[in-house]
Amino acid sequence: MNGFQQIDKLSGVAGAAALVVLAAAPLAFPGNYLIGVLTVAAIYGIWAVSWDFMSGLTGRENFGHSLFIGVGAYVAGVVNVQMGLGPWWSLPVSMLLAVAFALLLGFPTLRLKGPYFALAMLSAAVIMQRLMLIFWEYTGGEEGIQDIAPLIRNNLHYYWFVLAVLGMTTFILSWMARSRWGLILRAIRGDEATCLAAGIPITTYKIVSLVISAAFAGLGGALYAHYQLQVSPQLFAVVTSVTIITMVYVGGMGTIYGPVGGALLLTLLTEGLRNFGEWRLMIYSLLLIFILFFLPNGFIAPLWKRVRSGMGDKA
Amino acid sequence: MSSVLLEVNSVNKHFGGLHAVKQVSMQIRRGEIVGILGPNGAGKTTLFNMLTNFIPPDNGRIIFNGQSLQGVKPHKIVTLGIARTFQLCRPFVGLSVLENVLVGSLGPRVRHDGLGDRAMQLLKQVGLEAKAHTPSELLSYGDLRRLEIARALAAEPELLLLDEPFAGLGSSEIEAISSLIRQLHAEKQLTILLIEHKLREFMQLVSRVIALDFGEVIAEGSPADIVAHPRVIEAYIGKQTDMAVHHAA
Repeated sequence: MNGFQQIDKLSGVAGAAALVVLAAAPLAFPGNYLIGVLTVAAIYGIWAVSWDFMSGLTGRENFGHSLFIGVGAYVAGVVNVQMGLGPWWSLPVSMLLAVAFALLLGFPTLRLKGPYFALAMLSAAVIMQRLMLIFWEYTGGEEGIQDIAPLIRNNLHYYWFVLAVLGMTTFILSWMARSRWGLILRAIRGDEATCLAAGIPITTYKIVSLVISAAFAGLGGALYAHYQLQVSPQLFAVVTSVTIITMVYVGGMGTIYGPVGGALLLTLLTEGLRNFGEWRLMIYSLLLIFILFFLPNGFIAPLWKRVRSGMGDKA
Repeated sequence: MSSVLLEVNSVNKHFGGLHAVKQVSMQIRRGEIVGILGPNGAGKTTLFNMLTNFIPPDNGRIIFNGQSLQGVKPHKIVTLGIARTFQLCRPFVGLSVLENVLVGSLGPRVRHDGLGDRAMQLLKQVGLEAKAHTPSELLSYGDLRRLEIARALAAEPELLLLDEPFAGLGSSEIEAISSLIRQLHAEKQLTILLIEHKLREFMQLVSRVIALDFGEVIAEGSPADIVAHPRVIEAYIGKQTDMAVHHAA
């Protein structure tokens, strides 16, 4: 026994089944509209799961996740349009740049206690959004960068590619969250002083987990840029971070797979409620308040835990 | 190897205008159980915090195993072999009992495999094996004390610092923790330094007592000597004149 949690077979199978269902959905209900919605949902899934790895596990809530997303997306624009490199270069370069920003911001901010990390990250994202306007010669200002080349021309194939990235990201981060590393991150959430007494350099762990979180957020940003085929400063907006955090809460914070479910659920809900016209935002908000108020541990992860323990009893 | 494991030399700590620890010196030999006695506010916990560099001393020297602790970061102290518990139990909320103990062994000091098995063994030793998979926030206060001790032991320390291990416990629990400490000392030749002000249990447990009051060492010796020491009695009960003043007020 090594004492660490394992990804149980049942959860692995359920995850794979969910991926297959998501991949097959556009075949059952053809049309570009559904493919578009699902592609955006999958990208939000990547963002939510990357947020959860750092903030959900350590409890240090990052209100500036949009910064890494925006950096990743702009890298795609600059590399592809302004430097004229092939679109596939976006993926590694966006991850690298997001990592650089995470290091730059993590060193000063992750020593802060209480809500100051959240506030510092929030401010950093706002500043980046302004910088995109100030350096308009390079960033395209309010209009952003247009005419980014797609990674894959066929919409359905691109959706499958994004889905595969989501699956990989979720698997890697779930596996890490259940390793020695993840246990330490959860211990940091539990009590920082006790972590020090146990010999754990907490600042190092927090910075590296922010770096990992940023890398995947940046990757998601690049995927988004190559889906929209343009980027704008709006990507850095605080509302992007808040949407992601809401998805994580609805999914179940600190569970990694839960936030993926939260992202899919809320994206599909937003689209599904379009028929309600002007009532849409109100219904959406009421549903959110209901979930957050009555299900403080979220909706997706507790539901799965219940299903799994039910199946375990029968086995 | 020298017989002295820990040496504290003229250590001082000020908090603003308060001289919390004054010129404190002491030596702890390998294999001893030493108690630090003193009323509330005597500087006991501050002294512990300085031994682990959670609060660095203003001046003076602390030498552990021949190495100065000056400038050593708090998380590196345990790597040198000093593990501590906290006066108010501080479990890792959200982690199971087993995971709590496991985290204690994740620092760089413990290098071998089978950490889960060892954590389970420690839980058995402190009597918590049946609750291994319980979330730590559901434990009773007495069980939290056991958990703190198991977590500290998971780091395989040479010196164990126990900050008021009996605080908030009933007499049967105190008896149980007391015999656990005795057993650890006997089995592992662990050097133990503990803070307490519950006199009776404490005096039966330790081989030597260092008494503090107002941040100063006021007496040192065997438990029997200490309870008879006039300055200790004064610190605990007060002088005749003090009592008179209290009555007048």
